[in-house]
Amino acid sequence: MDYLEIIDRSDSGEYISEENWDLEKVAMTCMRLVSQYDLKWDKQTLVPDDPALADRLFEAGLALAVEIGAYNRSSERILRFERDELETALRDMKQTISMGRGADERVLFARQIEDSRPPLVWAGNPGAPHPEALFLPAVLSWAQEPIVDLITCGTLAEVDGREVRTGEALEISATRRELTYLHQALARVGRPGMGMLAAQSSVSELGDLAAANPDYLRPCDAHLVPMLNELKIDNRNIARAVNSIEYGIRNGGLYCAISGGLGGDAPGCALISVASIILGLLTNRADYHILHPIHIRHVATSTREVLWVESIVLQAFARNAPAIIVTDIYPKSGALTHELLYETAANALAITVSGGHLEGCGSADGLVPHATGLEARLMGEVGHATSRQGVTRAQANRWILQLTEKYEHVFQMPEGNPGVRFDRAYDMKTLQPLPEWVRMYEEVKAELKEIGLDLDN
Amino acid sequence: MNDETITTIQQALIDGDSEAAETAAQAAMEAGVNAQTILDEGLMRGADIVGQQFEAGEVFLPQLMFTARALKAAMAVITPELKRLSAESGTSSSKGRVVLATIQSDIHDIGKNIVSTMLTTGGFEVIDLGVDVPIKRIIASALDEGADIIGCSAMLTTSMPFMGDLIRTLEAMGQRQRFKVMIGGASVTPAYAERVGADGSAANAVQALQLVRQFMRNAST
Repeated sequence: MDYLEIIDRSDSGEYISEENWDLEKVAMTCMRLVSQYDLKWDKQTLVPDDPALADRLFEAGLALAVEIGAYNRSSERILRFERDELETALRDMKQTISMGRGADERVLFARQIEDSRPPLVWAGNPGAPHPEALFLPAVLSWAQEPIVDLITCGTLAEVDGREVRTGEALEISATRRELTYLHQALARVGRPGMGMLAAQSSVSELGDLAAANPDYLRPCDAHLVPMLNELKIDNRNIARAVNSIEYGIRNGGLYCAISGGLGGDAPGCALISVASIILGLLTNRADYHILHPIHIRHVATSTREVLWVESIVLQAFARNAPAIIVTDIYPKSGALTHELLYETAANALAITVSGGHLEGCGSADGLVPHATGLEARLMGEVGHATSRQGVTRAQANRWILQLTEKYEHVFQMPEGNPGVRFDRAYDMKTLQPLPEWVRMYEEVKAELKEIGLDLDN
Repeated sequence: MNDETITTIQQALIDGDSEAAETAAQAAMEAGVNAQTILDEGLMRGADIVGQQFEAGEVFLPQLMFTARALKAAMAVITPELKRLSAESGTSSSKGRVVLATIQSDIHDIGKNIVSTMLTTGGFEVIDLGVDVPIKRIIASALDEGADIIGCSAMLTTSMPFMGDLIRTLEAMGQRQRFKVMIGGASVTPAYAERVGADGSAANAVQALQLVRQFMRNAST
């Protein structure tokens, strides 16, 4: 479908107030479909091995997309799509995408459940605000990890000591400077062609436009085109999609359905996630998909609800419409804590056996610069070991339950478990993890080996 | 009769049934139940039960929003009588008036919507201006509506500076003392709130409700 058609439908669809969209369309329809398709979860089965459930979820998600469509918040209009339009979009969905160039090029592909091909490892903490002095060292810490295939980053919260404000002049400077630092980092680690998901400092179309230049975002890179909660887009993000169509970069459709939000509990969140991915093919012009469900209270992707949502949504697509789905890992805990490593391992296990690629870690909920390259290394190692060992969903589920016992207390901590800032976990001269942080990593690796996951062989 | 009527109103709120809430409020008024009693014993108690269930994770956002909608429907029935009673007694039945917005440049609204719903079900009058609201419009609305409190949220760190701008603009206009300003959002901390001169911050909707109650308690003492 031509994108001009999307713009036309945005202007001419049925009018509905946003409140009525949220309640009468999204909430009511989700409630009905969750019951009609018998979508259920239990807290002991975080990686389900239930093909019928995955298939019902896919059918329900498609039904939701057909029945209510998407909402343009700017025009307050509903974008409706016929079933055959959505099915055509699914059939035409990209199965491979080349990212990066030269020796550093990687091909993203639609993974399968319990796929023996390892997931691609996309390192970074998208959205996490960084002071300028920490930005380059943090990016270097994950770019230098050999297991990393693709790179992303946080945002620059300041430029030359001045606060960056969305939609104002410094958003342009911040976005271009972020890209400059990324290129510097890749050059320094000898991987200049590595593919990027970047322009994270661009929230409005201003920064996005500023980065559409081969010196910044290259055509082999990607940027985000988010779907808003729930099943919404706006003219600002339509502008981002058009910018990428005109310029030629890849669109990462970002979907952050909320568990406990308008769809209700985890099954409703999974339902909205499936519908979002289907609709995002058209409304967001998604070349690939970024799955990032959010827990309404705890935010983190390592909560039981979100682990289940990530797993069942990946399985639903792998079985019914294989898709390139990069799945975010945003643990509650931050650097220099054991819990960060347990959370990362649990998330990476669930995603890898269910058919996703790995992106992270947005440590400490991605709210502070408390992420390092070490947990990105662990994320990749768990993903590789899981596919190499042929871990099954049942095995993964058992191990994840053992891991949750080691970290779930963090959700009861009033201030969370943010750990420390990057520069207190890494030596800022050598850009290597401090001995204490390495010790924790080795301990967790040993524990993983003990439960059955050997990261070294 | 009163007990049964009040129970029916409470249940309509718990069920999030706007039509039933409106009908029950109307029936109570016709049965001669005092409007303030309908509000305090029926509507507020029912809304409070759902609010507590939401806090405990027993119900989810849609239930809370349907309850807020039912509350508004019933309030439309009893408000004229409440106003008459207020005028008669010279006191206000309102617990306080809050202007809420997601600040300029930020389009994230779920957190703000939950706060809006919690405050509404907590008995406060909420004027929700939506998302990406310019600070001039927030201030103009607060002045026009005679608000007691301005609440702003920002999820993006690059939108947070506009909350400081709002406070500085209020100061420049000589209107700062007129409002309590609370801020919230994923990256907003108490330290940040203090730095920009806000009166308080809330990490979630429950805290926001507590903060607003505290502001209004302090204002009345």
